[in-house]
Amino acid sequence: MTNPVSRREFLNLLGAYGGTSAVLQAGAALGFMPSSSQAAEISLRANNGKKVAILGTGISALTTAWELTKAGYDCTLLEASHRPGGRMFTVRAGTVIDEIGNYQRCEWDDDPHLYFNAGAARIPSIHSSVLKYCKELEVELQVFVNESKTAWVQDDALNGGKPVRNTDYSSSMQGFVSEMLAKSLGNSEVDSSLTESESETLLGMLRSFGDLNEDMLYKGSVRAGYRSGGFLDHGTKKDVIALRDLLKTRLASNVMVTTQEGTGSGPLLMQPVGGMDRIIYAFANRLGNRIKFRAPVTEVMVKDDGVEVAYEQNGVTEVLKADYCFNCIPSHLMSGIPNNFPTEYTEALNYIRRGKAYKAAFQAKERFWEKENIYGGITWVNAPIQQIWYPPHNIHGKKGVVLAAYNFGGANYTEMSQEDRIEDLLKHGEKVHPNYRQMAEKPMTIAWHRMNHMLGCAPRWARVRGGWSDKEEQMYETLRQPVNGRHYLIGDQSTQHSAWMESAIQSAHYALADLDQRVRSEPA
Amino acid sequence: MRNLLTATTLILSAFSISAVQAAEGDVGVEAAMDDRYCTTCHGVEGIGNIAVEAPRLAGMESWYLKRQLENFRAGIRGTHEQDTQGIAMRPMATKLSDESIEDIVGWVGSWEYVPAHTTIEGDINQGRSTFQSCAACHGANAEGNETLGAPALAGQNDWYMVTQLKNFRAGFRGAHPEDTYGSQMLIMSKALRDDQAIINVVSYINTLQK
Repeated sequence: MTNPVSRREFLNLLGAYGGTSAVLQAGAALGFMPSSSQAAEISLRANNGKKVAILGTGISALTTAWELTKAGYDCTLLEASHRPGGRMFTVRAGTVIDEIGNYQRCEWDDDPHLYFNAGAARIPSIHSSVLKYCKELEVELQVFVNESKTAWVQDDALNGGKPVRNTDYSSSMQGFVSEMLAKSLGNSEVDSSLTESESETLLGMLRSFGDLNEDMLYKGSVRAGYRSGGFLDHGTKKDVIALRDLLKTRLASNVMVTTQEGTGSGPLLMQPVGGMDRIIYAFANRLGNRIKFRAPVTEVMVKDDGVEVAYEQNGVTEVLKADYCFNCIPSHLMSGIPNNFPTEYTEALNYIRRGKAYKAAFQAKERFWEKENIYGGITWVNAPIQQIWYPPHNIHGKKGVVLAAYNFGGANYTEMSQEDRIEDLLKHGEKVHPNYRQMAEKPMTIAWHRMNHMLGCAPRWARVRGGWSDKEEQMYETLRQPVNGRHYLIGDQSTQHSAWMESAIQSAHYALADLDQRVRSEPA
Repeated sequence: MRNLLTATTLILSAFSISAVQAAEGDVGVEAAMDDRYCTTCHGVEGIGNIAVEAPRLAGMESWYLKRQLENFRAGIRGTHEQDTQGIAMRPMATKLSDESIEDIVGWVGSWEYVPAHTTIEGDINQGRSTFQSCAACHGANAEGNETLGAPALAGQNDWYMVTQLKNFRAGFRGAHPEDTYGSQMLIMSKALRDDQAIINVVSYINTLQK
């Protein structure tokens, strides 16, 4: 494995990237980082009994209801389903997964540690609004482990299909990348643009980052652990995995970037003790009978002085008359609900595409991963199951729930029978853990695209990669303006960073600030 | 108000799920009535939903709806790998019993006929001329003909008819050997030369009322 990519080739690559000046330019970027992200302070004017209809009970709706109720508004929440929370959904003993055509009831052991966050599962430390409510509502949090270097990387194209430890993979990749960058320093464009001191700092970092030897070459690292010894005896390093072998799998792009705080993937993440829906029930329990379950909305009519919402409950159609309406019903379901929204508003609603996502999980007879020195984190698999997560909580307990598939897409699973889905996750999982099939009890699957009253996962706005078009920005602004000052669209569909609870909560805060301004400007 | 809420909070306990989860117990009991999932996709009272590409059911003839549900269930429709929308429908139908189908057909029959909104614009005159051969089975006003097994077209979502005509023409629908009526339609659709011809004929159908 000598000279896998020549220095010239590498420099050509740098050149193709547009030279190094852009990278090297000293700039104000350091100053652009916000010092910290703070949750908005919500201070609504106390209001005596204005009526508010809140459609759906996703976290944006619950946030809205909670803040308005505290301020004295009279809120009613209409939920089509039998449970609150939308895509904040935890599966445990007794839970029903109401997927159309694939109804499941969870029959795992009744144990507080045995749960599966089928929707939202991780809270980054910069998601201040989520954390603010966890604190306010006394939802106990614990650390969630997103990356474990002892977890596996499995690809049929790599190592004859046998799994490779994350650390073996990532330390070799880090070593080779560092070696190549170090080689590019010396007499290149990069070097001529750097001062001696900067070069030294960069070289020092590369030596450490890649664990390079005195000659700035990567010859293996103890970071990958020892082949033998290491405690009572001197450790023997493992063999280096050749760069060309590392490049046989495209999983590198997942394995090397699991922990990026800005995108919300760690390294430090949190989860509520006992399941993500603890947040939902913390809200819902406080809101009590303001929530009407199994009450699907059948019509939304915005009037001059309020909003009339028809809904069906126990076979009877009722009409809820309110001063204001906050709506987190997924846009693609609103397309099937009669309403009198303006044309451009409807067009924007119809434009948002419903996202797809698939997850699966099973109760493991034993915590088999711990015998492989794994105590959390993610195994990356080059198959549609994509990821295997190990529970970081209840270490050394008897059983645990393993997330056996997480495909942000997963359209193929949508059409598969439950039996085929289960066979698929077992078949791929046992390439990683030989005893996987024997350990798996009662797998549960969820195709969000087919969930009743949901029919989708995170909404998708941009149709092309690389950003939003002007038209999309315009439609987004249309939906952010309340219809007639009365009807607000909320939820992550009404944000530019969908799929996160933080976005949904911020959409509620944005709408609440608008409402508050209107209320304050009303004559006393 | 704040104090009152805080007190309620303490009573309910932050860790109690039971207070609002009571509703979960009896969902999805496997009886005919609980297969009434249709409106999630097809919209309130079956008005159709363009965002999830689910057609209008309100006004659909009971005999046609029954046949299609049976076809989906049996894999006669919705199994061609290019029939994206049909594939999405099929798993909903595979679990239905005969009683569930009867229940759904009756339920859908209780919805008022509501003509769908127009979303396409083609050459109506061209479409009228093309429609003459369609009228032989579907009726001069696209009102449908049960004897011939041809459903009503008037009032149906135009985007749905466009998709289905494209699917027939490409053999994504109607190619199953047991799809007797579908195979007739597959042959007829060959008369539509291109996508524009489809848009034209559907634009003409848009002008007809049930």
